[in-house]
Amino acid sequence: MNAVEIRNLSKNFGSKQAVCGLNMTVPMGAIYGFIGENGSGKSTTEKMICGLIPTSGGSIKLYGKDYTDKTVRAKIGVLIEAPGCFPQLTVWDNMMLQAANLSIPNAAQEVVKVLKTVRMEGAAGNKYQNCSLGMKQRVGIAMALLGNPTLLVLDEPLNGLDADGMRIMREVFTDIIKDGKRSIIVSSHLLGELQKVATHYGIIRHGKMMIEMCADELDASYRTYVALKSEEMNQTKILLGCKYSRVEEDEAGYLRVYDLTTPEEIVSYLYENGICVTEIKTDKIGLEEYYIDLMKGGK
Amino acid sequence: MINSRDIIFESPTFARRIKGMLGVDFYRLFHTPLFYIFLAIAAIIPAMVSAMTMMPDPNGNTMEPLYSNVWQIIASTKSLYVIEGIADYANMNMVFIFGGIMVSIFIGHDYKSGYVKQLFTTHAKKQDYMLSKSLVCAFAMACMCITYLIGGTVGGLLVNYDTNVNIGSLLVAIFGKIIMSVGWASLYTFLNIIFRKYFGVSIASSFFFGTGILIIGVAAIVENLSLPTAFLNIFLYGASVNANLSSGIDALIICITVSVAWAVFYNYLGTKILSRSDVY
Repeated sequence: MNAVEIRNLSKNFGSKQAVCGLNMTVPMGAIYGFIGENGSGKSTTEKMICGLIPTSGGSIKLYGKDYTDKTVRAKIGVLIEAPGCFPQLTVWDNMMLQAANLSIPNAAQEVVKVLKTVRMEGAAGNKYQNCSLGMKQRVGIAMALLGNPTLLVLDEPLNGLDADGMRIMREVFTDIIKDGKRSIIVSSHLLGELQKVATHYGIIRHGKMMIEMCADELDASYRTYVALKSEEMNQTKILLGCKYSRVEEDEAGYLRVYDLTTPEEIVSYLYENGICVTEIKTDKIGLEEYYIDLMKGGK
Repeated sequence: MINSRDIIFESPTFARRIKGMLGVDFYRLFHTPLFYIFLAIAAIIPAMVSAMTMMPDPNGNTMEPLYSNVWQIIASTKSLYVIEGIADYANMNMVFIFGGIMVSIFIGHDYKSGYVKQLFTTHAKKQDYMLSKSLVCAFAMACMCITYLIGGTVGGLLVNYDTNVNIGSLLVAIFGKIIMSVGWASLYTFLNIIFRKYFGVSIASSFFFGTGILIIGVAAIVENLSLPTAFLNIFLYGASVNANLSSGIDALIICITVSVAWAVFYNYLGTKILSRSDVY
């Protein structure tokens, strides 16, 4: 049984089709990285899963039940755009209000538990308006965690976080899914960060799912490359371009020869042509480059 | 391997849901300055109206008093659908104008902050939301009626207005208007649902309907045609005006019926609209 199963989902805003024929599967216990350009339909899809906007067609099943089923809706936690806190109240009061909204028994204990999960137990007395952006995002996640939801939908929770905030957020995600009962759908443009935590990915474009895969499959599909530096970079580039189909210079100044794993072949080829290689390494492209490649129509 | 059988799916009952939501809305009402500011406005305005009418003009002449009796600040002496002067209009019905603005700000925050997204994603039903907002805002407006009563009475007594009144009619007028808060609050909640994307329009529409200008316009036409005006009492403004210093118990019954009927209507319509539209 999957946490989310979406089939042929569509959403029209007047004549504009925001989502068209989208299929999506989020397994239980997954951190699902939901990736796409601005306006690709990510947020619209998330809002449909959350029941915030009605669908124009297709089906959304959550744990095998229709997404409108009130028992299954009670199992969703959400952070979309803003957590809906009252700025002049403290973090604790905001949490307690949300707990009251959700009719949670033993609200205080539950609030303490979720604040611990998001590393905010020491800041419960702070007014929400005085919290940093990272703290506000974590309060939002804590609110989403109230009521013990099994599916969390988090829209851009990593935006605006500093390095430490990112690290904490990664730890929080890992903690949330460790019992295997919860799943998280997390959309973000920070693909490098997402790559560190996501177990599954879905890449959406123009309202359609381009590709869905688990982290291992994605890792296996990353293109390998040999990166090198030489004393004569321009000449090296020309020479490599004559022999290999794709040679590019990266941001760090290395020449990359794609789909190769044997640097020896390049070293000897360049040596035969009078060029001495000063640095050479093999690597794989990251999620960000994979995504850019995919958007450009590459593999 | 975890599967969905390991997860318990359950949803709170209506009673638990509405109790939770009312608790949150009342907490917000009492723990934010908005409510107290509007209570103060409701108290100060009638007191100021009374006091200002007794102040001398620049030539040292005392202005003609707006009222002759303290209780005219609370309600008019008869059902005046078409106003003849500001005194006919400036009574407890003005609470429904300020109240509309308060409701717009109260509900507007739900949308601005993203609170409704949290709410509607989980088990909260649209009808719970409408009901909770209508009841809490009705309570707030009823409280404003009481502070208006206090402000108006103190102001009237300070400027030595006459206090003679038919107690029964006065009580009908006061309770009638307090009961009308339920209908007015539901109207404003409904308007704020319709214009939820446009905060300014929400406030403007609440103000527009709160002034009762539509009913005043209709009443002017009806009176010009010498037709009976009693049918105007089926509207919120009409029933509010009908609760006055010469009313009998029938006016109170009209207020209860009209207020509850419109509240049910607006709650039903608001729930339908919310259910079929996007949550922004």
